[in-house]
Amino acid sequence: MSPLGIGLETNLQAVLSGSTGVRQYAGNAELPEPYAASKFDSSRACFAEVQGLAATVADVASLTPFEQIAVAAVVDLLRTHPELDPSAPDVLFVLSSTKGNVDLLLSNPADSRVGLSGSAQKLALCFGNPNQPVVVSNACISGLSALIVASRLLRLGCYRAAVVVGADIQSPFIIAGFQSFKALSEEVCRPYDAQRQGMNPGEAAAAIWIERTAETDIRPDDIILCQGAMRNDANHISGPSRVGEGSFRCLKAVVSEAEKARLAFINPHGTATLYNDEMEAIAIDRAGLSHIPVCGLKGNFGHTMGAAGLLESMLSAVALQRGLILPTRGFAQLGVSRSLQVSDKAQPATGCQFVKLMSGFGGCNAAVRFAIGPYGDEQSAMPSRRCVLQTLRRVVINDSGHVVVDGKSRDYQAGGNALLTAIYRREVGDYPKFFKMDLPCRLGFVAAELLLSQDTDRFTPRDDRAIVVFSRSGSLVSDRRFCETIKPGSFFPSPAVFVYTLPNIVTGELAIRHKYLGETASYLLPSPSAAVIDDIVAATFLDPHTRSAVVAWIDCADDNHFEADVRLVCAEPTH
Amino acid sequence: MKEELIQKLKQEIIEVLNLEDLTPADIDADAPLFGEGLGLDSIDALELIVLLERNYGIKLKDAAEGKEVFKSVSVMADYIEAHRTL
Repeated sequence: MSPLGIGLETNLQAVLSGSTGVRQYAGNAELPEPYAASKFDSSRACFAEVQGLAATVADVASLTPFEQIAVAAVVDLLRTHPELDPSAPDVLFVLSSTKGNVDLLLSNPADSRVGLSGSAQKLALCFGNPNQPVVVSNACISGLSALIVASRLLRLGCYRAAVVVGADIQSPFIIAGFQSFKALSEEVCRPYDAQRQGMNPGEAAAAIWIERTAETDIRPDDIILCQGAMRNDANHISGPSRVGEGSFRCLKAVVSEAEKARLAFINPHGTATLYNDEMEAIAIDRAGLSHIPVCGLKGNFGHTMGAAGLLESMLSAVALQRGLILPTRGFAQLGVSRSLQVSDKAQPATGCQFVKLMSGFGGCNAAVRFAIGPYGDEQSAMPSRRCVLQTLRRVVINDSGHVVVDGKSRDYQAGGNALLTAIYRREVGDYPKFFKMDLPCRLGFVAAELLLSQDTDRFTPRDDRAIVVFSRSGSLVSDRRFCETIKPGSFFPSPAVFVYTLPNIVTGELAIRHKYLGETASYLLPSPSAAVIDDIVAATFLDPHTRSAVVAWIDCADDNHFEADVRLVCAEPTH
Repeated sequence: MKEELIQKLKQEIIEVLNLEDLTPADIDADAPLFGEGLGLDSIDALELIVLLERNYGIKLKDAAEGKEVFKSVSVMADYIEAHRTL
């Protein structure tokens, strides 16, 4: 679902014909500065059709616009594939979104529909699915993160199939935030072009059905998710790494020397900001892939946030099924420092595989390699056995002043917010960035200090330790604060607040502090359900690089209510 | 006059950038704000752009313009005196 139309084929044809959903908007009371974005309000007929689809499974009035496009995407998937049964007990729903219903906070800071877990539960219910859905909220890489975690849960045998849905809508919240970052172009964006001026926010929803198939059952037209990886830059919470570190490491993890020859193209993030596109060019070049054609779709759809990883992967895959590399709308003259082969028009593809690459706030990066038909990977590339995991250390902190490190209480003579500062003062004291962090990040930061202070070789860069954060409220505390900075009449959006309005920023802060270059991910759950957390942690260990993980439940319902339960988990050596 | 503005600016910078452990006396008005010293980064630069707009009615188009203006507190004060609308 996008402002360019309903359904995969319509959107594919729109890309091939060079259409764009991006329109220019003049300033108004809510957003005083002009901007360009791809929004459903540019095509009322299209949104009416979205609502019509959603209405076939739910009372549309009970769904928010964000939920309507997500539900409609699944309805469309099922009407084109009637053989699929989303209500089966061995099917999991995974929802990918960055900000979901955050627009509701602008009119009512207490609106409880803003929690993404609630939206995911509604979505699963619409299709009669009985399982606790998983919400992935990992900034702009959410769509790929969702595909990666879903595919791993299938490999572990937790489920037979998954419906992975990505969606985001645009509101003054997101647009003002990116305006404060000076990251938006007032014209249709131009990925990798010398004249590029920034990105365009976009609205879309996309749904993918993924199921486990024996290698011998793969049909020539099947789209195969071969391998995925997530890596953190451990460098900065908003700026891309100047050396493309995380994206480079992702590419190395999913493309071996032997597989380079099979790649038809790379579909990178290509947001058309100065720094993102340059970073990707460096990462692709460092990975020895600068001879592979590159195509970017942001000129058609804008940056569709939680939907982007799914939307762009499926369009790339369907194009490759037809032997095509998609065009990069808006690209004319190379504007990055490495010689990328940017595809400026639709052209024949050589090879049967492609890589989708993304990166986002929190220093996160992700890559997934897809193939059409039998893909010829080595068997050993795909571990699917559940590791035996051991908890080495554990720290529990809550707002009543309760601090327990490995079963022993510690007294910091403080409660509430002051407790976290007291822990920082006593245990650290020389990391002034602590005072720039929001509450969830401060909480995660001090908990991780207590957890990791005994580590030998502390602060030596390593990529074998993952950071996995679970939360109920996510970034709600900062979401509310950011709304305060964009009130009509007093519109001064704060970049320093906006950057914290993503639940995965805490993973970035921890990665930077501890120099962890491995996988980082953040998930939202209605409660710290041990069964769901155990499965996702086991899935994290399916990345062959991961030998240990910081596993955290970090929840801040408001400025005075918080709890953290953080563990260091290790895979027992297998012989 | 300028001295007063410099003192006020130092206080505002400490507040908006959450430089919790610093006092105005710790900031040298002629020293570079970015690079070494205060440990400020790109988000801080963007936040200073907001400060100029909210407190002094000065709009900067992009971060590159900020680079010139935010060379030091003293340079910032000169720029504000020449361009303020509030």
